[in-house]
Amino acid sequence: LSEPLPLTPESLKVSINSTKQCLHLQWTVHNLDYHQELKMVFQIQISRFKASNVIWMGNYSTTVKRNQVLHWSWESELPLECAIHFVRMRTMVDDARIPAPRFWSNWSSWEKADAQNSLGDHPLYVFPKDKLVEEGSDVTICYISRNHQDNISCYLEDELTYGKQLDQNVWAFELKNVSFHRKTGTNFYCKGQGVPEGVVLFVSKVLEEPKDFSCETRDLKTVTCTWDPGSDTGLIQLPSYTLFESFSGKKTLCKHRNRCDWQVTQDSQEVYNFTLVAENYFRKRSVSILFNLIHGVHPLAPYNLFPKSVSATNATMTWKVSSIGHNSALLCQLQLLGEGKVIQQHNISVRVNGEYLLSELKPDTEYMARVHCAYADHFWKWSELISQNFTTAEAAPSEAPDVWRDVTFVSGHPTVTLFWKPLSKVHTNGKILFYNVVVENLDEPSSLEVLSVPAPANSTKVTLNQSSYQIYVTAHNSVGPSPASAVAISGHPENENVEEGRVNGTEDGFHMSWKPQSRNATGYVVEWCDDPQNLPCVLRWKNLGPTNTGTVISSDAFRPGVRYDFRIYEISAKGMAHLLEKKAGYLKELAPSYNPEVATINLTSHSFTLSWKDYSTESQTGFIQGYYVYLKSKTGEKCHREFEKTVLPDNSVGCKYTIDNPDQKTLVVKDLQPESVYEFFVTPYTSAGEGPLDDFTKVTTPDDYSHILIHIILPMIFCVLVVMITCYLKSQWLKDKCYPDIPDPYKSSVLSLIKFKENPHITIMNVNDCVPDAIEVVNKPEGSKIQFIGTRKSPTETKGTKPVYLDLLPTEKNYSGPGPCICFENFTYNQAASDLGYCGHFPVTPQAPHCQLGPLTSPENLLKTLEQNYMNSLGEIPAGEANLNYVSQLASPMSGDKESPPANPPEPALCSEYKMQMAIPLGLASPAPSKNSSLSSTALLDPSEHCH
Amino acid sequence: MKVLAAGVVPLLLVLHWKHGAGSPLPITPVNATCATRHPCPSNLMNQIRNQLGQLNSSANSLFILYYTAQGEPFPNNLDKLCSPNVTDFPPFHANGTEKARLVELYRIIAYLGASLGNITRDQKVLNPYAHGLHSKLNATADVLRGLLSNVLCRLCSKYHVSHVDVTYGPDTSGKDIFQKKKLGCQLLGKYKQVIAVLAQAF
Repeated sequence: LSEPLPLTPESLKVSINSTKQCLHLQWTVHNLDYHQELKMVFQIQISRFKASNVIWMGNYSTTVKRNQVLHWSWESELPLECAIHFVRMRTMVDDARIPAPRFWSNWSSWEKADAQNSLGDHPLYVFPKDKLVEEGSDVTICYISRNHQDNISCYLEDELTYGKQLDQNVWAFELKNVSFHRKTGTNFYCKGQGVPEGVVLFVSKVLEEPKDFSCETRDLKTVTCTWDPGSDTGLIQLPSYTLFESFSGKKTLCKHRNRCDWQVTQDSQEVYNFTLVAENYFRKRSVSILFNLIHGVHPLAPYNLFPKSVSATNATMTWKVSSIGHNSALLCQLQLLGEGKVIQQHNISVRVNGEYLLSELKPDTEYMARVHCAYADHFWKWSELISQNFTTAEAAPSEAPDVWRDVTFVSGHPTVTLFWKPLSKVHTNGKILFYNVVVENLDEPSSLEVLSVPAPANSTKVTLNQSSYQIYVTAHNSVGPSPASAVAISGHPENENVEEGRVNGTEDGFHMSWKPQSRNATGYVVEWCDDPQNLPCVLRWKNLGPTNTGTVISSDAFRPGVRYDFRIYEISAKGMAHLLEKKAGYLKELAPSYNPEVATINLTSHSFTLSWKDYSTESQTGFIQGYYVYLKSKTGEKCHREFEKTVLPDNSVGCKYTIDNPDQKTLVVKDLQPESVYEFFVTPYTSAGEGPLDDFTKVTTPDDYSHILIHIILPMIFCVLVVMITCYLKSQWLKDKCYPDIPDPYKSSVLSLIKFKENPHITIMNVNDCVPDAIEVVNKPEGSKIQFIGTRKSPTETKGTKPVYLDLLPTEKNYSGPGPCICFENFTYNQAASDLGYCGHFPVTPQAPHCQLGPLTSPENLLKTLEQNYMNSLGEIPAGEANLNYVSQLASPMSGDKESPPANPPEPALCSEYKMQMAIPLGLASPAPSKNSSLSSTALLDPSEHCH
Repeated sequence: MKVLAAGVVPLLLVLHWKHGAGSPLPITPVNATCATRHPCPSNLMNQIRNQLGQLNSSANSLFILYYTAQGEPFPNNLDKLCSPNVTDFPPFHANGTEKARLVELYRIIAYLGASLGNITRDQKVLNPYAHGLHSKLNATADVLRGLLSNVLCRLCSKYHVSHVDVTYGPDTSGKDIFQKKKLGCQLLGKYKQVIAVLAQAF
């Protein structure tokens, strides 16, 4: 031992573990003495691709025996298949027993590790195969290409990666901080011209340390430890969990990743030191706990919890518990729950069977009993709860129903509608089956009327006589009746003449108070309708004690903007109710929801009246305080008297008039301009505001003259109509009076003139005395020269005047045909003559009249003649050959040519008022007239010389 | 790997092969009698045609399901990674006699059945949560087994063929995962191609 030994490593062998990517070295050290053990240091060099390229050098210290085969491994970050590795080592004794100096031995020869030899002849290889790495670590992947010309690209999943060339055929890709993709691995592949090749990289998440590691026992036989394993590592291969107990030195492989069972042995070990070890390919995590078996008892849940002998107020609960070793007792807690709340709680010590009497229960009530237990010797944790529901038995209702009435009188008989409120659950003590109504006539004590009203009805109607009654109402369930509720009815109408007051609503309801009228009042009742807008009224009432003079009426049914009417009754000692006060109010007043319909009446040129009398102020959303009347005119911006300028809700400017009396529902708008357009709008207002903005209504005032038209023109038209009607009705009389067909000289106004002049010589011609004119039909022979006809020249015509012709035979044929016509040339009405101012007619020859009227002296002759000549004129006388010449009935035939001027110019003479004209055949008119005279039928009449 | 096998017993073994079965069929004596366990149905060819049609109709969806489950680069490199270049795949001549075609069909179905078993085994490890793929693989394997049985019946009953030499594909159990994925994809690509030809030929 005193000399340094020439110890060198021998038989060095290098092998490759592809799975772990390790170079495995094994060697021996010869020249050791028997039984000699030396501590030695081995220095190892590893080269890559060529021996001179040393990539790693390190020392390995160990104690060496003679002929001992030594092993050492080195993990390569580069897949070993991608490069040839060379390994050599040397040694040095590092034993304290060997004195210094110490020397390194010689290097061993290089040993080669070449995995490429085992590869096939594929053009491309990628390594390492199926590598398992931890998330966040680095990994190197390489490929070997047999084809130097091939341009190869490599991808991690679908992401191109860049590497570095290590050798002529070898490229390496260093993946930094790899991340987890999926449980089934991450594909890395390279592709060139040929078939792609690749590897699958399995990335594991970092194994977490188990959390919340704890242990407990349910039965002192098995210890169950639980923990939170944390997040999954993300590999198909799950980490393993092992439970160690240091005192006993035992361990167990856990079947679950979050729970492990440990069997308690019979050696009465109470304290355990558990260590949980979680382990995977990369890591090992552990956590420890010191567990006392007695302190960690978590009993199993009790079972068979049942109610026993349940009555209306009591119930006995029984249950069982799982026994724990050593005959230990359990502390059980029995809870009684009603409507989800714990109302009773009792602790009971139990070994096997538990039992407890629950009392003070309510009849017909569903309860839940639940129980859990804990280890009595050392409380640590309650067991799981078990529960059981049960319902207590029914009992008779404990309270009389709250009854109220509504009395109406029909034909003097009171009809009573009884209302009652359903008893609360607390008082029904069971299901109410029916209500009994007993009507007792106080005036006839022997008469009782019993009504049974099935539940759930809450009212009934009873018709009574005009007597006093006492009515009793009881509620019945399956056990029995409730106490009775009594109502007294007087049988006479109540006094309704009570002034109505107002009551303000608040968030709490309606605060109302009243003044008691009687000192003997036994109570008060306030009644109202919950929903007064819908009929029939859902009557509500509130009973109050005799000392109350006020209350707050609240209801979930109360709504803002609804008017509620309250009636307050005072209950007398006899149970009679007397109306005390009436109040109306709104929970919250709202602005009116609608506006009145306004009518425009009494429209004049300067005013009109607005009226909305149909608008009800009672059924609004608040107390109507008045009305706003808005007025707009197109002509001017100035407001009328009593109106004030305001900005309307639609931001336009208008005039506003305020009516502060809700009962005033008309307004006269005055001082308006005629023929102007006004727009108005009426809206009510409450304390909450005014009504909605509606459209304005247009009114156009009439002009000033329209009334004249009405007052003057219309009466005139009426008068004219009256006159016209009168004239029409009296037309005959008027005609006779004013323009008779044959004027009656006696009725002529001339008479008055005559009388006025008192000329006795002037008389009126009597028609009967008058010789009628004769018609002379001139039969003009053909070729004869009848100048009168042919030329139709007359003295008047020569003066440019046109003669007037009258048809004697007023037949239509006279107008239509061009046939022979009968014309009268009336010189009497010669315009020229009249223009001269002569009253008479010229030519008037004051010659002695011959009155040759022989053939026409009688009417018969005249008619005959007329007939004959007329027939002749139609049938025999060709057109133009016969003329009917006129011969004045009074004028004598003129001598000489008619065309020649008269020898004696006519002198103004008195003329008659009427000149009767008739046509007389020429042959009949005068005997053998001369050639000239025969042509003329002109007759001039001097009244003074004719037919007196 | 290429193994010859013959005889009725091997055929029965093939009928009951399980996932991963890749061992060659043992050679039975040449003079073994041709017998089936159950009488063959009368409409055997119709059943064969229907089974081929059923396989053909589901082959493409199985192929898609497979390469989708393998992740990249498979879906985008089907032409290279999943090309139907399967070495030693039994040939098929559609213009041959019915007997020859049935014999070739038998070999193909046997080859496919064994390969499908390998794929199913591998995928249950590599993609344990791809239940749809597993279900489809199992269903296809079931139909292949039935088809193999019917073809055997037909050969035996009509042509008195007592044994057929069959070959199997490579066993993938020792290969790395990427190779397993690739070989499975190639096999299913080939299956899709050849089953269409077979369905057309019968």
